[in-house]
Order: sequence, then structure tokens, then C-alpha cells
Amino acid sequence: MLQVLIPLTVDALANAAIIFFVAVGLTLVFSVLRVLNVAHGSFYSIGAYAAASLGLWVVSAGLPEWLTFPALVLSAAFVAAIFGPFVEHLLIRWTYGKSEALQILVTFGLFLILEDLQRIVFGVNSLYEDTPMRLLGSTMIGGIVYLNYQLLLIALAILTLVGLKLMISHTRMGKLIAAVVADREISQALGINTNRIFMLAFTLGVFLAALGGALATPTTGVSPGLGADTMVLAFAVAAIGGLGRIEGAAVAAIIVALARVLAIYYAPELDAVAPYLVMLVVLLVRPYGLFHTDTTRRI
Amino acid sequence: MLSLSSVSASIAGIPILRDISFELKPGLTTVLIGRNGAGKTTLLRTIMGLLPATSGSIKVDGTELTTLPAYARAGLGIGYAPEDRRLIPEFTIEDNLLLPALALKLSRAESEERLARVYRLLPELEGMRKRPGGGVSGGQGKMVALGRALMVTRSALLLDEPFQGLAPALALEYARTLGRLREQLPELTLFITESSPQLLADISDEMIRIERGSIETDAEAA
Ligand SMILES: Nc1ncnc2c1ncn2[C@@H]1O[C@H](COP(=O)(O)OP(=O)(O)OP(=O)(O)O)[C@@H](O)[C@H]1O
Ligand SMILES: [Mg+2]
Repeated sequence: MLQVLIPLTVDALANAAIIFFVAVGLTLVFSVLRVLNVAHGSFYSIGAYAAASLGLWVVSAGLPEWLTFPALVLSAAFVAAIFGPFVEHLLIRWTYGKSEALQILVTFGLFLILEDLQRIVFGVNSLYEDTPMRLLGSTMIGGIVYLNYQLLLIALAILTLVGLKLMISHTRMGKLIAAVVADREISQALGINTNRIFMLAFTLGVFLAALGGALATPTTGVSPGLGADTMVLAFAVAAIGGLGRIEGAAVAAIIVALARVLAIYYAPELDAVAPYLVMLVVLLVRPYGLFHTDTTRRI
Repeated sequence: MLSLSSVSASIAGIPILRDISFELKPGLTTVLIGRNGAGKTTLLRTIMGLLPATSGSIKVDGTELTTLPAYARAGLGIGYAPEDRRLIPEFTIEDNLLLPALALKLSRAESEERLARVYRLLPELEGMRKRPGGGVSGGQGKMVALGRALMVTRSALLLDEPFQGLAPALALEYARTLGRLREQLPELTLFITESSPQLLADISDEMIRIERGSIETDAEAA
């Protein structure tokens, strides 16, 4: 049984790592800007397309294959630099303090625009670029084969979680973000340029989503419609963890991953709905998610 | 020093402040008296840029404030302690105090000097510097909020109902602290709101009354 369960679990955790990148970006943007960005998943698919395109170019240009690794991160940074400040300034900024209905309408409009944009730029075909996964190969431990790229994904997600928490608690920018999350008005009175924090947090959110997409390409490839699927799953994960809570997104991603393992093992037909069943149960018991604290706003 | 001329402000479309004009003189303590709902908090929030003025002008030493973003006031040395403490609960008391220094990108030496000044004026804060902002009493929190405002203050200090919610003994201590502050920083321009004139009679140089969003200057300074 372990011979089946362990590979299944590693597979699920690697998926959880990818969803964590997207969900933690969503949760970060929500907690700092107080905007639920419905278009967040589009940055995942744009990141995926950008990474696949850049990877394919690296290979076709005959450059060293190991360059496909930095290309993954580079394409995410590129997507964040292009879309982050621009979208926040042009669109999201006008919805601050407005009703949630308006914020959802505006970001849904953004989602539609970004989906069309992807169709225009990348076409409707699927792209596959798996050089990084091939290069890393696999490891055999105790008769079980592990894909090294999947282990790398899990390690990167853990590093990102720890890095984000340390950034918030120990760096100047992180402390300013935490203060803005806790109390916008007093933050301004104490000299914090909140608009700048909103722009940076949004850009970091876009980067995390795009990084999730970029890191996913070697395992799954990219095809149209990816953004919407990912958005729904990331939202479920963020909601389970408690919207706005970084470690909540991590724990929820793992819970969802393990639920899917159980589903695949015992009731394969429930695989796809397992995350939403977990969400249903969690939100019935704790409507604001597992890590929600009702006394203070924190990240 | 700080002057308002014909300032009006609205909340959710309802006019709250009407045509307010007055001036704070440098180095003096001005007390703004008004009953509940008179507009004291709204006036301070308007000066701080947290609520936009619908008309009129607010100047500090010749600099027009109404066109500046809210956060710029801290850079001009205007400290503000709101009515409700508003500490960051998960920061320690010391990190709460240092937050303005981080925001203003003060040098390490400058931050330490300002922090030392705060601990000198409010020695009780040093004893609780490692405690979380969410773990101090209401009265202690008010002292922390005062200290945090002092980290910013170079020109003016605005305090919104500093005695509200304090037990008589604590209120007395807070008033004594303000007296010490006055002695040690003689050049400081202090602006304090209160609902009753008695508590601040000792330290106020000028008194202004606000009533339903309008100012009536009062000749009888205490
Ligand atoms: N958020 C708000 N929405 C609507 N009206 C408000 C709001 N805040 C204040 N007001 C109104 O503005 C007026 C002035 O309120 P403000 O808080 O400035 O009074 P105050 O003098 O500080 O009173 P207090 O002594 O109770 O603190 C009041 O009539 C109040 O009802
Ligand atoms: Mg008030």
C-alpha cells in the first residue's frame, strides 16, 4: 500500500506547492489591499505561457539547457514587472474602499481582458516545455521512484513560506506591510505611503501567481482555460486557510492535497471535487477559515 | 505655525466641519473644547489628511497641507495620537514606537535618539518595551500612542482626547507627563482636544471651542 500511497502523496504535495504559490499571492493581495482579485489566476496562466515560451526559446536557440531553470523565475519576474504596477495603478486603485460587488466586477472584467490577451499573444494551442524536469531526473529510495523536480517544487514552496514570514516579521518593508494590514489610517498618520505598499503587495502577489504558473509548466504544460481552473482552486485553498493568512494558505494547500490522495485511493471519482468538499466542511465549522482570528487584522 | 482658514469637511456627503479658521501659535498649548459629536476628531483627521477637506486651506509654516498626501505630515514633523490608541497588536511596544522611524527611513542614530527621548519623557514605556501592543491596558496603550506620536514630532503634536477612558489616577499622571513634555520641549506646538476644560486648565495657553462643526474663539484663556 505504501508503494502506492507515497508516490501519490508526493505527487499531491507537488501540486499543493504550486497551488500554494497562487493562493498565498491571492491572500497577500487580499489582506493588504482588501480586494479579492478574481483575475489572480490569469497571472498564473500568463506566467505559465511566458515560462514555456522562454524555455522553448532557450532550447531552440541552442543555449545551455540549465538556463531553463533561471528562465522559470525570470519569466515570473517579467510578468510581475509588466503587469503588477500597471494593473494596480490603472484599475485596482480605483476600487479601494468601494463595495465588494464593484471590486469583483472590475477584477472580473480584468480577467476577461487578460484571457483575451493571452489568446492573442499565445494563441489557443497548448505548449509543452519540460527541460527542467528532464534535467533533474529521478531518485530511487526504498524501491520508490521520486521525480526530483517534484521534490524541488515542495522545497521551493516551503522556502517561500518561510521567506514570506521572515520578510513580514524582520524587514522594513514587511513591517510596513504588517502595519498597513493592521491599520491603514494610523499607518498613514505615522508616515507610511500606503499607496506604495498597495502597489508593492499587488506586484508581489502577481509574481507569486506567475511563479506558480512558471514552475508548473515543466510538469503539466500550458493550455487555454488554465487561469480560471487555477483561480477556483486557489480561492478554495485561501478560503480554507482563512483569507489573508499566509500560513493558512500553506496548511490548506496540504490538507487539500492529502484529501485528494485519499479520494484517488478510495473514491477516484471524487478526486476533482475533493478540495471543494473540504472547503464546504471547513467553512461550515469555521466560516472565516482555519486561521482566522476575529480580534485583529493580521497577515 | 499651523493655520486653518475656512476649512470645511464632509463625511459620506454630510457636512461636518464648517468654515473653520484658527491658528496655533508656536511653542504654545492650544486646547480644543467641544462636547461629544462636536467635530474634534473630524478636525484632527482633516488636519492629518485622513479625511479630505472639501474647501479651505491648512498650512504649516507656509506649506499647504491639503494638497499633500496624508503620509507626508509625519515627514513634516507633525505627530498625532488618535482618540483610540490604535497600536499594532502583534508588534512589541518598542516596534510600535519605532514604526514611524521605519516609515520615515530615519537613520539608526536618529531613531535611537528619538526613542531615547521618548523613554526619557515616558519612563514607564521602557519597562514594557518587549510586550506585544495587544497586551497592554487601555491607559498604558494611551501612553504608548503618545510616545509613538512623539517619535514623529518635531514641530507639532496633536492629541485627540488623551484623557478619555483613563482612570482619574492615570489621567493625572498623563497630565503630569504633558507638563514635563512642555518643560523639556519648550518649542513644541501642542494641540489637544478635550470635552471638558478642567483637566487641561493648568497647561493650556489658549482655548478654542468647537460646536456643531464650527469654531467660536474664546477670550478667557485659562
Ligand atoms: N464615520 C462617520 N460617519 C458618519 N458620521 C460621522 C462619522 N464620524 C463622525 N461622524 C459625525 O461627525 C460629527 C463629529 O464627530 P467627531 O467624531 O468629530 O466628534 P468628536 O467631537 O470627536 O466627538 P467625541 O467627543 O465623541 O469623540 C458627529 O456628528 C458624528 O456623528
Ligand atoms: Mg472624538
